[in-house]
Amino acid sequence: MLFLAIRHLLSRRRQTILIFLGISLASMVYVVISGLYLGMQEYMIDRLLNNTAHIKISARDQSIDQPEMTKRFYGNDTAVSWITPPSGKREEAHIMYPQGWFDRLRDDPDVRAFAAGLSVNVIISRRDTKRAGVLGGIEPDKQIKVTGLEHYMSVGSLLDLSGGGNKIIIGDGLLERIGARVGETIKVSAGSEEPRPFKVVGLLHLGVAEIDNTLMLAALRDVQQINKSPGQINEISVSLFDLDRAQELADSWKLLSRDKVESWSEANAGFFEIFNLQDFIRYTISVAILLVASFGIYNVLSIMVNQKRREIAILRSIGYSPHQVLELFLIQGIILGIGGALTGLGIGVLLKQYLGTIELQAMQIDHLNLSYAPSIYIGGFLLAFVSSLVASVLPARAASKLTPIDIIRSE
Amino acid sequence: MAIVCENLIKEFGEPPTRIIHGLDFDIADGEFLSISGRSGSGKSTLLYLISTLDMPTEGFVTIDGKVSSDMSVEELHNFRNENIGFVFQFHYLLAELTALENVLLPPRRTGMHEAKREQALSLLKDFGIEDKQNHLPSQMSGGEQQRVAIARALIMEPKYIFADEPTGNLDSVNGQIVMELLTRINRDRGSTLVIVTHEQDYAKMAEREIYLVDGHITEEETA
Repeated sequence: MLFLAIRHLLSRRRQTILIFLGISLASMVYVVISGLYLGMQEYMIDRLLNNTAHIKISARDQSIDQPEMTKRFYGNDTAVSWITPPSGKREEAHIMYPQGWFDRLRDDPDVRAFAAGLSVNVIISRRDTKRAGVLGGIEPDKQIKVTGLEHYMSVGSLLDLSGGGNKIIIGDGLLERIGARVGETIKVSAGSEEPRPFKVVGLLHLGVAEIDNTLMLAALRDVQQINKSPGQINEISVSLFDLDRAQELADSWKLLSRDKVESWSEANAGFFEIFNLQDFIRYTISVAILLVASFGIYNVLSIMVNQKRREIAILRSIGYSPHQVLELFLIQGIILGIGGALTGLGIGVLLKQYLGTIELQAMQIDHLNLSYAPSIYIGGFLLAFVSSLVASVLPARAASKLTPIDIIRSE
Repeated sequence: MAIVCENLIKEFGEPPTRIIHGLDFDIADGEFLSISGRSGSGKSTLLYLISTLDMPTEGFVTIDGKVSSDMSVEELHNFRNENIGFVFQFHYLLAELTALENVLLPPRRTGMHEAKREQALSLLKDFGIEDKQNHLPSQMSGGEQQRVAIARALIMEPKYIFADEPTGNLDSVNGQIVMELLTRINRDRGSTLVIVTHEQDYAKMAEREIYLVDGHITEEETA
């Protein structure tokens, strides 16, 4: 039946080309959109994973409560009725027993490395320009083993912070915003304390604006001093041998302490929601396009079945079975599906390669990051092929149900 | 007897309208039978019943010793493919196939088309259209198209040929050519030939003529 199916398709060239283009377009759009979305997701995950620990242990949130505030401001003997009760989180929250965590993590076979840290809210200033941000106090030699931040140092190294001495590494976006340069000294203040001078010794560029515009790192000891909390830490970053076990380990560690334990996926849940939304949009667009192409196939094959009634009658009268007639039209759908899908995939790859060469000067990234994951091509092919097959089943079944005598009588 | 019809009744619609009224007749092996009658007399319906394309409401058609209504769908397809050649008023050629490919359509069903190629060319030559073998139906005259359809009906060397108004769409010259061809096939090959025609001149070319009026055989003449 392949011979007859090909002849049928060739005899309706214009219709065949239109359906072919429809399917090709659908699979091409799927490949390009998926490549863009997945590429972007891979880019983001890569940076998130390199910037954040696999598991982060931080001080539990301590809420400001009414009795504490009353006691602090009015003493024990005064009865106070608050019109608007105090609320919020206490800034000085810190991990109460860090040594216990250190001992546990050091003995845990799943843990590759860990590093203590202290993050505090600060204001940095250079002349009249001020910016608020979070200064992360780190242990450079340990931090290097926990995250891949070192790879994103555009100037200097995390190890430049070793030994303290009021040195700071900041995101290049933030540096630009305060108009400073590497080697220059900026002032950093925490709370109401006098600003302290910090020398900019390095620059970070992760390509994620919200990080590059806010990130500041200094030696842990310097941050503890500026925060007037010597020996205190409020986070421990943990790196694992097996990233996939992060959630499972985080869940088990949560039971050991009141401190907050978060896996990297929990900490970046917002990003994953965005990814899910992107996937939803991607599938919706692709399905919409494929539906249009499917209706095209369905319509053209239905018209073809009507136009070929006499031919179906003769095929049936000379012994072709209903099954063979069904095959005849189904094969046409399959040829269009496979041919259209493969053509679309090919054009999609070429288009992606072209898009990958476009320079994006206005954005934080130089070029679009496009994914070439095999799953995209398998998905694109299957979507196009299955929709073509499904769209051709109904007309093919209608053709197979025609009896020669009914056709001849209706002529 | 090649074909035996017993108490053949065919009804259509709801409430049922009887088109064929209890016909009994036989067709001998190698016989040339014509069925004629006015439009609506049931002659085409009768042809479809005896050729297994349609099944009777009541009664039986026994062809080649088998009762048509007892045959399975698969048996019917195989029987038609191997034993029956159809020629219709409208040639029903596949528009996208050449004359030769159309002739080879029945053996293509079982993958025998290459083996039958020489025979197909011989048939086209015999019918005077060998130079049209690579032409599409749209590039041939009505008479040439009908000759291709007859060649297609003969390619499997069928025992039975059923022709429904084979000249109905042709001018008198081409009509005469087609009738002479069919007569020659019946004579030379010994195929049983049953044709339906409303043209008395062509009906009289048969060895036996059945005349139908409202589904009844009113006259039966033997040449």
